[in-house]
Amino acid sequence: MHKLVMLLLLGVPSTVALAHQPVVDMAPRWNGGYGFQTRVEHANSDTITWLEGVYTFRPAVRMTLKIPYTDDGLGSSIFAIPLKRYKNAAQYTSNWGLTPSVRVPTGGGSDWDGGLSLSYSAESVDVYQLYDLHILGDRRGLDINVGTVHSDGQGSALFTLWDVTAVDSDSGQRVLTGPVLVYFKRNIAARLEYKLSAYDDDDEWSGNYLSFTLGIVY
Amino acid sequence: MKNLTVSVCLFMLFATTASAQNYIVNVHGMVCELCSLGVAKNIRKLSFVDAAEYDDGVKVDIQNQMVFVAVRDDASLDKQALFVAIEEGGYSPVDIWRITDSGERLELQ
Repeated sequence: MHKLVMLLLLGVPSTVALAHQPVVDMAPRWNGGYGFQTRVEHANSDTITWLEGVYTFRPAVRMTLKIPYTDDGLGSSIFAIPLKRYKNAAQYTSNWGLTPSVRVPTGGGSDWDGGLSLSYSAESVDVYQLYDLHILGDRRGLDINVGTVHSDGQGSALFTLWDVTAVDSDSGQRVLTGPVLVYFKRNIAARLEYKLSAYDDDDEWSGNYLSFTLGIVY
Repeated sequence: MKNLTVSVCLFMLFATTASAQNYIVNVHGMVCELCSLGVAKNIRKLSFVDAAEYDDGVKVDIQNQMVFVAVRDDASLDKQALFVAIEEGGYSPVDIWRITDSGERLELQ
């Protein structure tokens, strides 16, 4: 409870956004690749703007930094090291991910939180799926993205996904679900999510969730 | 095999403007153009690539998991360097073929 109060005081309400994935959850996966994205999310009558960066040392090892801003200023940043084990097959690629993370009180306060994520993702030319179990501070969650991929073969594609997010924390439980659209053209990517509250027994949560992400990778 | 046939046909389509040395690499896992940007990026850094062909020397075909590489007339393909570039791009090169002027496909060992 103390941590929740601190978070609210710092202007960083507990949202459903994943804290550990690279640009639009997908890139870059090449040695020396890096990227930036801005994610604006609206939930609980609050808007948070995240500035996020990723650097890929090699496909198996990356680091990410996510910095939130609200009307009240800078919030607690999240630093993570996504570790991935890839399998490349004839018609698909898949990976298991293990992501340790730490939430740093950059917006004030003194509480540090540790986190860990276990994920599995698989993708073919037509289908994308991601399953992610994660814990960060008092929050435990499951996130699922499944859907289809429509590539034009000319450097752009549209992902039409469905998301299910379940969260358990000190303040209660909630389940949100809704569509996710991801579009990219060459090295620029955008992601739009709208999640409806399907179950809400959470004292700190009310209503639906909307986010928009714009990112670029090099 | 069907995918490979389609790729070779696509290559033939582009071959009218291609240089004398053209190669096709079958790359496992390469199913997303955003995620495979690093493959093309790394290949373009190789000194033997002919930037005048394709898209700065490289064409990625995710439908068939193939990479088309153009090599300069005055240079030689370094297969090992090419495969390392693809691996560091996050994917797994498997087979490589040279396409002759007549469109015949010759597998390299």
